[in-house]
Amino acid sequence: MPRKPTRHHRLLPVQPLTFSPFARSVARVATAYLVKHYLRDAPLKSAGDEFKEKLEKVDRQSESSEDEEFDGVVQADFAFFDPKPDDFHGVKTLLQSYLDNKQWDLSGFVDLILGQTTVGTVVKLEDDEDNAVFSVITALNLGRYKDHKCIAELKEFLLNISHEKDKIGNLRSLLGDKAQNVGLLVSQRVVNLPPELLPHLYDALFDEVSWATEDERKNANQKRPSTTDKDEALIYIKPEEEILHKLSMWSFLFPLQTQQVATHELKNYQLTGIVMAVKAENISSFQQQLHTLINES
Amino acid sequence: MATRLQFENSCDVGVFSKLTNAYCLVAIGGSENFYSAFESELADVIPVIKTSIAGTRIIGRLCAGNKKGLLVPHTTTDQELQHLRNSLPDQVVVQRIEEKLSALGNCIACNDHVALTHTDLDRETEEIIADVLGVEVFRQTIAGNILVGSYCAFSNRGGLVHPHTSIEDLDELSTLLQVPLVAGTINRGSDVIAAGMTVNDWTAFCGSDTTATELSVIESVFKLREAQPSAIVDEMRKSLIDSYV
Repeated sequence: MPRKPTRHHRLLPVQPLTFSPFARSVARVATAYLVKHYLRDAPLKSAGDEFKEKLEKVDRQSESSEDEEFDGVVQADFAFFDPKPDDFHGVKTLLQSYLDNKQWDLSGFVDLILGQTTVGTVVKLEDDEDNAVFSVITALNLGRYKDHKCIAELKEFLLNISHEKDKIGNLRSLLGDKAQNVGLLVSQRVVNLPPELLPHLYDALFDEVSWATEDERKNANQKRPSTTDKDEALIYIKPEEEILHKLSMWSFLFPLQTQQVATHELKNYQLTGIVMAVKAENISSFQQQLHTLINES
Repeated sequence: MATRLQFENSCDVGVFSKLTNAYCLVAIGGSENFYSAFESELADVIPVIKTSIAGTRIIGRLCAGNKKGLLVPHTTTDQELQHLRNSLPDQVVVQRIEEKLSALGNCIACNDHVALTHTDLDRETEEIIADVLGVEVFRQTIAGNILVGSYCAFSNRGGLVHPHTSIEDLDELSTLLQVPLVAGTINRGSDVIAAGMTVNDWTAFCGSDTTATELSVIESVFKLREAQPSAIVDEMRKSLIDSYV
């Protein structure tokens, strides 16, 4: 499908959009800026010249960035791609602290993610020479990959960090005999990725999962470790985790050792990880709530 | 021999260590595995010293040195400087330099005879390098990158440079450095060579993502297969003894 012509109220010179300059220019800008982005339903990428068509156009009238100062605006075209072996370094960087500071076979884990081209999405910039990865999302069937060293280490990590006896039983069964029906949801992104992309990312993932496992879907459970803050109240670094937490069958928190860059508002909060198990039938409710949350904010 | 290792899940071993023919500096890490990997290879031959520079662990990228000396940035604290002076062998001169480009490891690549530097380095810094490290200094770029310290790693026996270095540049650099050079990658296709590995005349340490092909290229260009530390000492001994009584 042809790309709709862009509307420019004034000419914006092309900003260099490689990973570091983008992140740097975004960080330099003070509080108010809007990132314009297009999600197009045109074919966007090729591994073997096959494009994914999962993007919709975002209404540009809702973005008021044209009125802002020029250097407060960075224009970026994000595109969703199937995972490819080329994305190894980008995905590995994103998942560096996936299991806190435990030394494990992260490279093997990334290889599993990249090997699964049918399920999983990598968010990159359109036509970026640097091939920088901004976000990765995928679901790994724990039963299928149970013989891999990285999955074994991951299971060991999860079982060791949980201190609540009743949850350990649940966790052990999900990781053990029920593993065939359990998918590990892996979702990680750069902190400044526009939230407008999230509903589409999750929709894409769950569509792919249902296509890939049409008959097994009813029994499947989903679970993943992720990070949150907590002190008195829980502040969720990623908005979708709050929704998932509410929908989860059970969950538990664990302390994190890795250093996170704390913003001024969050400095009184303790960095905590959360492990949740969510039933597959709650996923469509999750997707709806995510759409509402992002579109309202 | 080349060894593969990791620093706390990161394959960038050249960031957290600095290896020369006379000493080895290692960052203070979460687990002892990194330090013990170096210790087991080098313990009897050269001192392995744990240190920080400017309170950070990225020591490999902040300092530059060879067997004659070590240059540290102005951000190094007095205690760190003292610790280095105490732990290093006496013939190694440690010098803290006032240079606005403080990541010396990224700006300077050197062996015991030649150094390549960032094109914008101060003139005084260039003189100090020539003086303290006892090398000839050349301002160069590598495949268009000014951070020569990041995109190449070389010892007295060979060198590995950025994969996109042209043949002409390779020849030119090889003539300047007087060692064979090869353009290649480290850590599964990464082009930041010096971040992924650290090397001296008889051993190299690479990130654990390094493929077997990359490792064999490294072992061949740096001539590590037949290299033993004693071999180097023996070679020197032959030239040192001039008469038996």
